[in-house]
Amino acid sequence: MSALTTVPKRRRRSIIARVGWSRFLQEIGMLAPAIVLMTVFLITPFVLSFWTAMTNQPLVPRPTPVRFIGLKNFLRILNDDLFWTSLWNVTRFTLWVLPVQCGLAFVTALILNQKIPFRNVFRGMFFLPAITSMVVVCVIWGTLFQYPTGPLNQVVTTLSGGHIQPIDWLGDPSWAMFSIVLLSAWQAYGFQMIIYLAGMQGIPDELYDAARIDGAGRWGRFWHVTMPGLRPTHVFVLVITTIQAFKLYTQIAILTQGGPNSSTETVVHYMVRSGFEEQKLGYASAVSVILFLIVLVIALIQRRLMRRFDV
Amino acid sequence: MSDLALTPRKSATSTNGYRIVQSISVFVIALVIISPLFMLFIASLKDDRFQILADMGSFRAFWVDNPTFNNFREVGNFAGDLAFGRYLGNSLFILGSTVSLGLIINSMAGFILAWGSLPGRALILSVIIALYVIPQESIIMPLLIIVSRAGLSDTFTAQILPFVASPLYTFLFYQFFAQLPKELYEAASIDGASIFRTWWSIFVPLSLPALATVSILMGIETWNQYLWPILITQTDYARPISVAIATFFGQDSIYWDRAMAASVMMMIPILVFYLAFQRWFISSFVGSAVKG
Repeated sequence: MSALTTVPKRRRRSIIARVGWSRFLQEIGMLAPAIVLMTVFLITPFVLSFWTAMTNQPLVPRPTPVRFIGLKNFLRILNDDLFWTSLWNVTRFTLWVLPVQCGLAFVTALILNQKIPFRNVFRGMFFLPAITSMVVVCVIWGTLFQYPTGPLNQVVTTLSGGHIQPIDWLGDPSWAMFSIVLLSAWQAYGFQMIIYLAGMQGIPDELYDAARIDGAGRWGRFWHVTMPGLRPTHVFVLVITTIQAFKLYTQIAILTQGGPNSSTETVVHYMVRSGFEEQKLGYASAVSVILFLIVLVIALIQRRLMRRFDV
Repeated sequence: MSDLALTPRKSATSTNGYRIVQSISVFVIALVIISPLFMLFIASLKDDRFQILADMGSFRAFWVDNPTFNNFREVGNFAGDLAFGRYLGNSLFILGSTVSLGLIINSMAGFILAWGSLPGRALILSVIIALYVIPQESIIMPLLIIVSRAGLSDTFTAQILPFVASPLYTFLFYQFFAQLPKELYEAASIDGASIFRTWWSIFVPLSLPALATVSILMGIETWNQYLWPILITQTDYARPISVAIATFFGQDSIYWDRAMAASVMMMIPILVFYLAFQRWFISSFVGSAVKG
């Protein structure tokens, strides 16, 4: 083994001495594809986004050189009312989608956790929307939302005996975001349902037996055994749903394009519009840096909370 | 009703009442949740595009008198305006390539991180875990610069290569391999098998649960890609079916029948897999969540 004498670095020498060149090269060869691809397509764009954010980089290369403009993009974003509207809209969306989506997930998980006939069939059905592509979901709900004679409006009119006027689900600024909430919750709740179900099945049966011996009824068992047992699951589900909600884009791009009156404009939609349609890539990168910081803060809060609940 | 006999209950009547209420509410909830999907399938079999919308507000949404595959015949072309056959093929090609490359590359990396002897593995692992927090949306603009400067706009490569290696999937493989017994690895090295052979003929065959989880999660993710392909594809050449449906739905919203048929075409591959491997689908979603 000439490697012992020719390789100067101590650390390097020890691994090659231990396993030999052939094994060393094989390990490098097996690890390298993943590392190289992640470096090129994940780390580089991530680092680049901080740099691009401080330039006036256009989408299509221009003869004039790209200039460094410091924090100007960030200042422009913070002075743009539309950005604040989009941030407010995703916050609004989050506040609505959390109770609707997690509530639906919780209720369906509770149902599936009982001994009901055809449990597996129901579980399979409840999970179906989660595997449906958002584009398909938009076609379905875009049809349901038709104004004024769409299916959902027909149902509303029939159920109310004609007392409620047809609703312009996606065209009325005060309804549009709520309609997006409905279809988003329907599409995505299956994931949270499965997480809840796993959490419920992780609660030991002995706890329920003990509660039963103590004379706890169905409600008492739910309130004093199920709910406390699910505390970490609640934290996890809420954080995951929040991060998902802040990245709201596809539904908006297909159904409302941020309208009407910017009532459904979101941060990601705002970013794509400035970068792709207005071709201001530097500006869009600055938005993406802000988006990353938001997601990072939520993820850090999650870590704190999870540690607190000892997960 | 064996569980009823086994577990003592206070009174049989209240339990029966509870069960009836329970069954009815389960049925109603299931109906409400599933009806939009059911309507989609029924509507795609109807020929009269104006009738589809009128039908949908009533029970007729769940019934079709003369089912026909005309809509599918109209949109399932491989060239021209309604080349959804081609788009579906594009999507399947992107799906197959991304998932198969992803399985190999992430599994190899996860294996080396778990059982290799390279220095700095712990550091690489913690960087990979940290990378997981970066959302795709926040790197998509610079990625667009990189990929188009590399001359890859409007190609399949641009839709496959950036998503092959992934922190989450490498981590899932690492986690799976790391909990396998040490004896397994030692037995292989005593036999003189190379590290690549050890991975390929001993660890890979044992990692079926991890392979299934990653295939399913990666498959769903790839199939549902929308933002990236809309930025990177300009022509029919590599356009996936998600973008094609959204574009068609956006401009010609009066052709409900065609939009519905195209949507069903997009749903069928994933539905077939789901029905065949339902248990795996559900467990892989749990698996993606319980990561520390």
